[in-house]
Amino acid sequence: MKTSLHEIGRFDDRMSFLYVDRAIIRHTSNAIAIHEFDGVTDVPISSIATLMLGPGTKITHEAIKALADNNCLVIWAGEFGIRFYACGMGGSRHSRNLLRQAALALDERTRLQVVVRMYLRRFADDAIDPEITLQQLRGKEGFRVRQAYADASKATGVPWDGRNYARKDWYAGDPVNRALSAANACLYGLVHAAIISAGYSPAIGFIHTGKQLSFVYDIADLYKVELTIPLAFEMAGRHTQNMEREIRTEARRRFHRAKLLQQILPDIRHCLDVKAEEQDEFADDPALPAGLWEPESFTSETPIGQILGLHHGDDAA
Amino acid sequence: MMVLILHKIRPGVRGRLTRWLIQPQSNVYVGHPSARIREVIWKHICDEIDTRGGSAVLIHTDPSEQGYRIATRGETPKTTRDFDGLILPKAAKAR
Repeated sequence: MKTSLHEIGRFDDRMSFLYVDRAIIRHTSNAIAIHEFDGVTDVPISSIATLMLGPGTKITHEAIKALADNNCLVIWAGEFGIRFYACGMGGSRHSRNLLRQAALALDERTRLQVVVRMYLRRFADDAIDPEITLQQLRGKEGFRVRQAYADASKATGVPWDGRNYARKDWYAGDPVNRALSAANACLYGLVHAAIISAGYSPAIGFIHTGKQLSFVYDIADLYKVELTIPLAFEMAGRHTQNMEREIRTEARRRFHRAKLLQQILPDIRHCLDVKAEEQDEFADDPALPAGLWEPESFTSETPIGQILGLHHGDDAA
Repeated sequence: MMVLILHKIRPGVRGRLTRWLIQPQSNVYVGHPSARIREVIWKHICDEIDTRGGSAVLIHTDPSEQGYRIATRGETPKTTRDFDGLILPKAAKAR
């Protein structure tokens, strides 16, 4: 039987992520366990937001079923969890948020409002003059990001020549760019899980557009200056052997300190101007049939010829 | 909050623990001592295990994301596995 959403952990009460590589993940006695060559570890999947599967992992069909049932997002990632390959399904069973997000994105005026709210979210409210233009606001944001790189470089002594990374060869990148990619990957995974858990689409972006993860980039950008940029420079400055692993450990610590998991969903609601969390009427019974759509401007008695724009005589040939 | 689970520890050592902790069931000790007292207790238990054997598991609240920490001493059936800061118990593979 499917688990009721009420009895499993809410997204914002969960631990952020668990990265596993070179192991077999199996469903054993109603739970998930990680089987490694020297032992077995049970995984509290209802208390974890994202399970990141790295190279060398095998997972059984039953395990995926239990993970989906418990609203734990599964992400297939590259070595060190830094590249995103694919993901499973998250928790929400209603489509209300997705439809609202799509409606906002398809209307130019409401989309712009979301874009402006996303930029404003980065600045203290009183710092913004309502007379400012979108172009000036974008300039302000660009300056804020460049300043964050410069400040982090100065604070850590790690030189900064701009963001560049060799997409084909991970080790070709300089340490700070690798650290940035690794830290941002943790952030993307978490933001992605948050978006899916509340039933939004990762693809329908507002500032970003054209990719399946556009909305993930939109939301993750809210946190990079405070969280991942300083983290990446500090870790790159330490020159540790196992940098990517230490970044994940430190990212977990800082995301927790910043209460990131508790913040993502309210921030999304703020940007999309959604007033409050609404009930998921499918939480107890995912198989509950949903209603049928009723159009407002036509009634169910409207002839279909009129709906399709066909008029008597038009198609006579 | 701390929970201490003991295995093969002398009665005298167990008796001292009941000054700070309650024993809701044999081998299990629960209490909420200060961090300093907790460290004193744990050091005492570790010294005992290192010289006379036995084993212990300590779980206590912690301001980390997980909310608690786990420490083990002696030959416990499960060890701990650190997944980038998330500590989960790991059982040796059954043969």
